[in-house]
Amino acid sequence: MGTTAVPSGGTPPRDDAPLADPAEIRRAMEYYADRGWTDGLPVVPVTESYLAEFLATTSRDPDEVLMPMPQLNRQCTVRLAAINAALAGCRPDYFPVVLAAWDSLTREGYATRGIWQSTTGTAPLLIVNGPVRERIGLNSQGNVFGSGFRANATIGRAIRLGAINALGLRPHQLDQATQGTPAKYTACIAENEEESPWPPLHAQFGLDPSDSAVTAMIIRSCLHIEARHTTVPEQLALDITGTISRTGALIHETISALVVLSPEHARLFARAGWGPDDLSRFVYEHAVRSRAELAAVGKDAIARQTRWRLPAGHPDAVPDQAQGGETPDVVRVLNSSGAVLVVVAGANNAGVSAVVETFGPRGGPPPVVRVPDPGRPG
Amino acid sequence: MPAVSICTDSFRVPAQAMAQAYGFPGFEFATVPHPIASLDTGQIEARARDVLPEVLRILGLES
Repeated sequence: MGTTAVPSGGTPPRDDAPLADPAEIRRAMEYYADRGWTDGLPVVPVTESYLAEFLATTSRDPDEVLMPMPQLNRQCTVRLAAINAALAGCRPDYFPVVLAAWDSLTREGYATRGIWQSTTGTAPLLIVNGPVRERIGLNSQGNVFGSGFRANATIGRAIRLGAINALGLRPHQLDQATQGTPAKYTACIAENEEESPWPPLHAQFGLDPSDSAVTAMIIRSCLHIEARHTTVPEQLALDITGTISRTGALIHETISALVVLSPEHARLFARAGWGPDDLSRFVYEHAVRSRAELAAVGKDAIARQTRWRLPAGHPDAVPDQAQGGETPDVVRVLNSSGAVLVVVAGANNAGVSAVVETFGPRGGPPPVVRVPDPGRPG
Repeated sequence: MPAVSICTDSFRVPAQAMAQAYGFPGFEFATVPHPIASLDTGQIEARARDVLPEVLRILGLES
């Protein structure tokens, strides 16, 4: 029997609420859940006609492989990406962003090398730039890592559901994450270009600011920087550096990070004449640990094969690169200034920023993928 | 060359899932108690000694 939806905030029922059969809706949701086609939350039922609306937003062949996963005998195609975007609650006009996200993740490379099966428990983070942010309502301002915005919530979720359903990466089975991260539900932010003093991320790496783009990263943690106390750029940069160089993050010989500055912090640097490259360089130069600090936590050498950090006394241990350098007791935790990327996101209301710990040593340009403009599908 | 896969018991279910993904649902592999990465040389040697009969059985060399 059809009935109107009950308002979620305790207000009286509205006349414009759609009529729906709640029993049928629940039956469809249970059907998907029973088959393990969800991330634990309800999904949107997908019909062929609804799927066609997603596929109509691109000229790409539905059978084109976006992400091969040969070690699992699986792959994510355009069609599978569209099904999972629809399941995730995306609107069809979000789909070009989802496609660019898959392309960026494939170019990034760690996912196809098996990191999504790893005990480390990483998640993809998507950064969206350009006019598409406003066109589809992506949040770049307050609560940018939080809930409340359909485009952010569902585009990130589209990748997770694709990993589960297209690639077969279910927890306790092929996804062996020891703990995982809350970002595995969804992690998609837009850069706050309007309140940033600097060129946006995609323009830092060769695209035109009027282009739209997605840049994907594989992340482990998102750490909070509270720094409302200073107007001195070096103090703020050292606060950020101290967070990046924590020993718990040092799995490989060197690590990498994305600094997500609030507009207030970005402007603090800009007022002092710093650009994003200046911040990256400062962090690179100051992100060091002493040999004694590393020895105290058993990370003062690296493994011969994996180059993961371990104690100098371990049978597989070989010296790290710093050991053979001019200052063997001062160990850099980053391989270059390029291992630190900088974007601006969040509200312009406090000295609060974030360090996102990205997986791998990195250092090269990130995988920035253009999102085709509407009317120019491709 | 004949080979036997060995993993810790924590990875039994993912290993079975990988075998299934490759079309060998009954693929036999040996397991040792978790963990491995944090053991010292003596403890690693003990794990190897303990698992050897199972490795030989999978290779068909038990008798």
